[in-house]
Amino acid sequence: MIRLEDVHKSFGDLEVLKGINLHVAEGEKLVIIGPSGSGKSTLIRCMNYLEEPTSGKVYIHNHLMSHKRRAFINKIHSSMVFQQFNLYPHLTVLDNLTLAPIKLKKVPRKEAEEIAMMYLKRVGLEEKANVYPTTLSGGQQQRIAIARALTMQNRVIFFDEPTSALDPEMVQEVLDVMIELSHEKNFTMVVVTHEMGFAREVADRIIFVDGGNILEEGTPEHFFTNPTNERTKAFLSKIIR
Amino acid sequence: MDALTGSLKMITNGSVITYILKGLGFTIGIAFFAVVLGIIIGTILALVRNYCNKGAAKIFKYIAIAYIEVFRNTPLMLWIFIGLVFFPSIEFPTEFTKLFELSRTEMAVLFKAIIALVLFTSSVIAEIVRGGLNSISKGQFEAAYSQGFNLPQTLLFIIIPQTFKNIVPTLLSQVITTVKDTSYIANIAVAELMGRTFQLIQISPRYTGFSTQNVSDVFVLCGLACVMYFAVNFTISCVVRKMQKPKKIKLPAKIEEV
Repeated sequence: MIRLEDVHKSFGDLEVLKGINLHVAEGEKLVIIGPSGSGKSTLIRCMNYLEEPTSGKVYIHNHLMSHKRRAFINKIHSSMVFQQFNLYPHLTVLDNLTLAPIKLKKVPRKEAEEIAMMYLKRVGLEEKANVYPTTLSGGQQQRIAIARALTMQNRVIFFDEPTSALDPEMVQEVLDVMIELSHEKNFTMVVVTHEMGFAREVADRIIFVDGGNILEEGTPEHFFTNPTNERTKAFLSKIIR
Repeated sequence: MDALTGSLKMITNGSVITYILKGLGFTIGIAFFAVVLGIIIGTILALVRNYCNKGAAKIFKYIAIAYIEVFRNTPLMLWIFIGLVFFPSIEFPTEFTKLFELSRTEMAVLFKAIIALVLFTSSVIAEIVRGGLNSISKGQFEAAYSQGFNLPQTLLFIIIPQTFKNIVPTLLSQVITTVKDTSYIANIAVAELMGRTFQLIQISPRYTGFSTQNVSDVFVLCGLACVMYFAVNFTISCVVRKMQKPKKIKLPAKIEEV
């Protein structure tokens, strides 16, 4: 589904990704963990070309990513949920959800709204359809953002630290939505997160990134019981209390 | 006191007041034209300056930069004079110029002045729009790209609507400035309010019955112009401020605990 071949990314002199090779299978739930500054966010952002790799290749569903084809490939294959929600503040919740389907996929408005309401219901916020996003709490905004990603009805969803900007008491409502999503077999989810409980429950595979390299990968059981890499051990001992 | 009464009598003269009001009409019309064109051209300039960063399109970026910086950093007065001499004279049909009660020459001169005003205003508005564009967070672009919008679509559906919402107050003060800027045209043409006020001051003895010009003529005519400019601009700010008031947001009876 997603394949990265020797992906390098530099910002000026700083090399953030040092040759990543990764394959994410269809329907796989992949969790990426790692300390801040490790390159994990850059890695996930390279997958939908929000960051363009300095070298290396990214394939989504066998389509080779490029600057020119980014819009087309993202439109039909993937969606993203951001740390800062990034809802469109000038549009109501419903319009946030229907904008892309109507403008890009040429779905008739009525149908797009029905689909949007279905997903709003799924994240438990159908009564917020006609309010503006800025009137909502962080947790609610993030659930709307997830609904917006779902409305595109693409098979891949990227989550870039979806709970890191939330107040602690709102983290769980967002995680619950994500856990519920993970039960769908045909969704491919790639999640960058610090929520180890979530990773343990949802992940098919976890990769640990530090210094621009994948240092360790394996199942949650492997990770939380006997990690082999020293750096992984140190990281996990700090993060799991 | 006699002089003041005489001067006041002048503006109660029907033909004088009509002449001035028509001047006010020109002022509003010219300002409207300049603002509308200024917003259209200014927005295009701002977008080109900000987003034409790739390959051959870069040449347009440099043209936009040159345009904006040249007109924004030189006085409007200068461009009105340059325009008078160097801009092409447009031959308007007599039927058209008659509508405005102007001769064909007057119309041609006025048109050059309006072009100068549009050039100047669009460069200022371009920078206002650019300020607005730059204030939109990067996350908005990323959200749009992640959904599959390309750059033009992102700008059209997501960035520009937010930009204009944000820059209304600044744009408003530029509209007011433009209404006032039309008065520079008085230097080369007699059509708008300021030009007609000057003209009437010069020929005031004809209307007041005194054989000389009086300070009170200046006082009354300039006072009238002052009131008119103020009325127009103050109305604009009140209307826009009213429109700007945030829509009432329905708050739930109690804040939900989720």
